[in-house]
Amino acid sequence: MSSLHRRIHLTRGPSYILAVLLAAVACGGRVGDREGARDDELDVFTAGSLARPVRAALDSFAPGTGVTPRQETAGSVELARRITELHRIPDLLAVADAELIPELLLPAHAAWYAVFAHDRLVLAYRPGSAVAARLAREPWYVVASAPEVEVGRSDPDLDPAGYRALLVMQLAERHYARPGLAERLRARAPRRNVRPKSADLVALVQAGELDLAWLYASVARANGLAVVALPPAIDLGSPADSAGYAMASVRIAGRTRGDTIVVRGRPIRFALTVPLDAPHPERGAALAAFLLSPHGLALLAREGLEVSDVPMVVGTGVPSAVTAAVAGAAGHGAAGHGAAESRTARPGAAEDTP
Amino acid sequence: MSGRLAARLWTVLAALAGSALLLFLAAPLAQLVASGGAAGLRGLFDDAELRASLLLTAGTATAATLLGVVAGTPVAYLLARRPFRGRALVAALLDLPLLLPHPVAGIALLLVLARDTPAGGALLALGLRVVGTPAGIVAAMLFVSAPLYVSGAREAFARVDPRYEGVARTLGDAPWRALRRVTLPLAARGLGAAAIVMWARAVSEFGAIVVLAYNPKVASVLSYDRFTTYGLREALPVAAVLVLLALVPLALLRAAREEA
Repeated sequence: MSSLHRRIHLTRGPSYILAVLLAAVACGGRVGDREGARDDELDVFTAGSLARPVRAALDSFAPGTGVTPRQETAGSVELARRITELHRIPDLLAVADAELIPELLLPAHAAWYAVFAHDRLVLAYRPGSAVAARLAREPWYVVASAPEVEVGRSDPDLDPAGYRALLVMQLAERHYARPGLAERLRARAPRRNVRPKSADLVALVQAGELDLAWLYASVARANGLAVVALPPAIDLGSPADSAGYAMASVRIAGRTRGDTIVVRGRPIRFALTVPLDAPHPERGAALAAFLLSPHGLALLAREGLEVSDVPMVVGTGVPSAVTAAVAGAAGHGAAGHGAAESRTARPGAAEDTP
Repeated sequence: MSGRLAARLWTVLAALAGSALLLFLAAPLAQLVASGGAAGLRGLFDDAELRASLLLTAGTATAATLLGVVAGTPVAYLLARRPFRGRALVAALLDLPLLLPHPVAGIALLLVLARDTPAGGALLALGLRVVGTPAGIVAAMLFVSAPLYVSGAREAFARVDPRYEGVARTLGDAPWRALRRVTLPLAARGLGAAAIVMWARAVSEFGAIVVLAYNPKVASVLSYDRFTTYGLREALPVAAVLVLLALVPLALLRAAREEA
């Protein structure tokens, strides 16, 4: 053994290493191939703000169907880019901004989407913290632009809550007629307080690192955080105020580095789709139908989401299971009983209008 | 005859298994450098974010290593030379961070260093903000990599025969002087190697850093961010450059060990 070792070391060393390296390069094939799929898998991509409700619904969905759900969570923009750039296709995609699907995925990667919930942006804080006492005395925009207050927001290039926070800052400046307010609010949420997705901010508020964080009302509620409710004219939660929201706009990263796209203010709507080329389209459609059914919506509502009474489906090639589930929800909504008890829809914001 | 045949068979199998492992280790890295190396080296010149991130990584890792060396060397010496009560406990405590998943390390640090905590508040009062700053990066690096330095330094001290120090003492050197003039020079190469290992580990850290400081982005965070945000095309150059730069501490380490 030692003679073999020595021989390799002394005489064959260089050629042996060369052979291994050549074989190593030969091993690497084309990059970006799709991974092979096992038989009972169901890949679900969820926005950070939807991770918890969808997880709860999956716990109820999976046992009956024998599938093993694999959930991946990231900012919605990042999820869309995983599909378009990395060609990693899930069986179901749930995003925090419905508009991302037509803007980034139609027509190459998706043909339809269903809007199933809406939300509004709030400033969340820890009940009983120092900032809570201040908020009782002073207007929120004074507290949130004070130099000693730390405010968290998510990355606008990856996460809709990130660009929505910037939009709300602009709307607040206009609404309260305070020139420079948007810049002051943004200055209190500097880069060190920016995280990839808004759900990441929850832990930092709970740990006391952040005083305030720009979150969805549903996320704050589900995590037991107190919130500053903003006026409907600026909180992106009221479809009636769409025209006013559209006056705000921000520029975020586009498809490639250096490229940018403009996002305008619009009501916050959550949507899902089964991407084209999903590895298991029937399973994806079955899960979509489950989530959009009255039972599924009630499960989502229990986790704090403000679900639509009747989901709105847009596009072509909608799976029949999904159409049937939405029709069931419509009948259910008309009958007006059952799953509605845990719903917290606000008047005027309950219906999504196309 | 059959015994020799069996021996040959085992030799071939062992060689095949070893080659397969080497191939497994080398293939991904070779492919990465082949696909992104050229673009990555160009990126060193025209990608300011990548350059800033590499400088930040090198700077924070160096700071963490210096802190680790200054504070870890006495601990390593004690562990190697002086039996004291609770030594096993200290040794176990030093190994613990190596066993933790790195995000767990980050969360643990957040609980101690957040602005609202006594330690975090005291540091902030001194003007040192931890979360979301280079100081947070240094803290995360120190936590996950200092144990490697201490264990390496402990071995380096243990390899030095205590009798040399004893002789120096009998010749009239004070304990500190004997340590400085005899043991430290004899252990220096081992200590240097341990410091390089710590530095390399700090540079490669991701999980604990991303909890404490997503921004400013160190190289590991930047490569992951490019991958998830812009895809493979943008991530490959960054990743390839990191592989190439990892060769630097590797070469230093080899040099330190060869001379030792």
